[in-house]
Amino acid sequence: MKSLLGAFAVVGWLTAATVAADLDEVVARGELIWAADQEGGGPHVFPDPADPRRLTGFEVELAALLAEELGVKPRFQQGQWDRLPLLLGRAADCVINGIELTPERLRDYSCSRPYFAYSLQLLARRDGRVDAFHTLAAPGPEGRWRVGVLTGSAAESVMRSRSDLEVDVIGYDGTIDSLEQVSSGVLDAAVMDDCIFNFYADRFSRLRTVERPFAGGFYTILTARDTPKLSAAIDAAIGRLIADGRLKSLYDRWDLAGRQQMLMLREGAEIPVARRKTLGELVRDTLPLLLKSAGMTVLLSCLAFPLAVGIGLAVAVGRMHGPRWLKPLLTGYVEVLRGTPLMLQLYAIFFLLPKIGLALPAVVAAVIGLALNYSAYESEIYRAGLKAVPLGQFEASLSLGLSKWQALRYVLVPQAVRIVMPPVTSDFIALFKDTSVCSAITVIELTKRYSVLALSTGRIVELAVVTAVLYLCMSWPLALLSRWFERQLERPAAGGTEG
Amino acid sequence: MITVSSLTKSRAQVRVLDDVSLEGAEGTVTALVGPSGSGKSTLLRCLNGLETFDAGQITIAGHRLAAGPHAPGLLERLRRDVGMVFQQFNLFAHLSAAENVALAPRVVLGLSASDARARGLDLLDRVGLRSFADARPATLSGGQQQRVAIARALAMRPRVMLFDEPTSALDPAMAAEVMEVIVELARAGQTMVVVTHDHGFARRAASRVVELAAGRIAREGLAGA
Repeated sequence: MKSLLGAFAVVGWLTAATVAADLDEVVARGELIWAADQEGGGPHVFPDPADPRRLTGFEVELAALLAEELGVKPRFQQGQWDRLPLLLGRAADCVINGIELTPERLRDYSCSRPYFAYSLQLLARRDGRVDAFHTLAAPGPEGRWRVGVLTGSAAESVMRSRSDLEVDVIGYDGTIDSLEQVSSGVLDAAVMDDCIFNFYADRFSRLRTVERPFAGGFYTILTARDTPKLSAAIDAAIGRLIADGRLKSLYDRWDLAGRQQMLMLREGAEIPVARRKTLGELVRDTLPLLLKSAGMTVLLSCLAFPLAVGIGLAVAVGRMHGPRWLKPLLTGYVEVLRGTPLMLQLYAIFFLLPKIGLALPAVVAAVIGLALNYSAYESEIYRAGLKAVPLGQFEASLSLGLSKWQALRYVLVPQAVRIVMPPVTSDFIALFKDTSVCSAITVIELTKRYSVLALSTGRIVELAVVTAVLYLCMSWPLALLSRWFERQLERPAAGGTEG
Repeated sequence: MITVSSLTKSRAQVRVLDDVSLEGAEGTVTALVGPSGSGKSTLLRCLNGLETFDAGQITIAGHRLAAGPHAPGLLERLRRDVGMVFQQFNLFAHLSAAENVALAPRVVLGLSASDARARGLDLLDRVGLRSFADARPATLSGGQQQRVAIARALAMRPRVMLFDEPTSALDPAMAAEVMEVIVELARAGQTMVVVTHDHGFARRAASRVVELAAGRIAREGLAGA
């Protein structure tokens, strides 16, 4: 326990040691570095369709105006949306990217005065069953309604806190992933900032807004806690942009109802600052969620890996001993799956298959994606293992009257399995860690859960330690199990025949 | 039992076998001798279809092999009746001695596990290795491995046994113990074809010695002649 506390102290000191750039430094540098995620899309920050090398969006223009007010040039820094605050003090001076003002953010970061008022909008298919907000209060024909949100967004926390609704809230990494899923019928509805849907409405002609926005709040610009002069300068700059009408005309240009925005920004509701939880409270509140997600990690690995090994072995045998026409097909299978990223394969299975009428539950899609991807690697390992069995044993099997398939089944494959045990074991551990990629298709396993919780609570270090301990608790027994398995295979089979 | 007529085989434009014909009656032991590269191992491997040939034909234990590729079904039937022992033993490394012997009877003949094991133990007894039944090949000496390999081939009760230089990979003491087993088989009337360098063996056990040179039969005669 003592060494654990020591680790805390060291990490704490390291965090404090990174000195963020305050206003003087920004001015001296001549650049305001602002962070956003261009993948988040319009109307905030997105690549200009006419020239994808250039970024555009109302926040790009806002950043330019702010930089101008500070007397410097704006410089864009790309980051993943739910991790943008981590860039503060390291790679960016501020974050401008539709960050909602919440009690937790007020506690953990320096938040500017609001620069935009957002409203949360419920969206559903035109021909779907969700035609009013109160529809969600009673279970649908297939049980609870499935509603998609952007992971880490206000929409997510608002929907998750609505215990009066019969909904399963599913978090997506991409802003408009949930719209795709509603459109293809996987989800019943989605909730997001109305300005985002308005921007993409043309693309989703099958969707419509359901009633008027039901909740809302403000966007804020985040700065590090230890750059008070920069924070103050940004606040003052926003004030001037509101006062002289430049912000209003910016919003009007982007069809964001400038007059209404200005009214709401001037009202500016008071938001309380959240209290910092004690370590005990933190663990008590997060451990059940972390444990549940750890279970998902184990489930994905233990379902996907045996499948991967089975398919991989079949592919290896097919490539070496199958009919001639099959070999190029299997070689193509291996090269395509090895040559493309796992993330892309998961995307294809989860987002593209529904377009041809095959909508798989996320966990099933994740298991299939992992199994297919790893089967390509396993097949190469088994091919090497089969080649390592001396040819003489194959001939000896044939000379005893065994068919080729019997020789494979009773002589070659059992030995290949033993030979490749160490690399296969290490692949199992690799898969165990690769399950985190599945968060791209809404499956929340341990790594994703950690990053969501760390950001919503601001307790990055403490939760990292808890998460690491959970990983160790899982991988240790797995390592023991695989070693035991290895020993079982090496042991001479006692007594009777085997096979 | 064995009839080879006008067997011809080329490999990379070299005639490995050139118009080879020979006969082996039931209960006889044919020794194939000759220098390395004379084609004797190739001839032996043609006899159970491990290699194909370009012209001629083979009749062995009632099965007929023609030139060109063989049908897998034909080979599987033929090999039940024609056992083979290799220079490098080729025991199945993951199975015990008894399992090596019992595998084919169980898988190919469909014997129950216990019947197959009983047959395996009998044969290990016959080659003097009953007490090594549960040993892995890697823990056995070369001579012991080859005796297990012989037992394994005998487990299918073949009408013909083929031996491909069965003692060449062994030191003299171990070669002698393997030789003893083969001589014993010859006495029991097993039809055999043995590729060997060992003229002493050829004299002791063979009914007939066929000498090959450059793919042709150079000399043929009764053993001891």
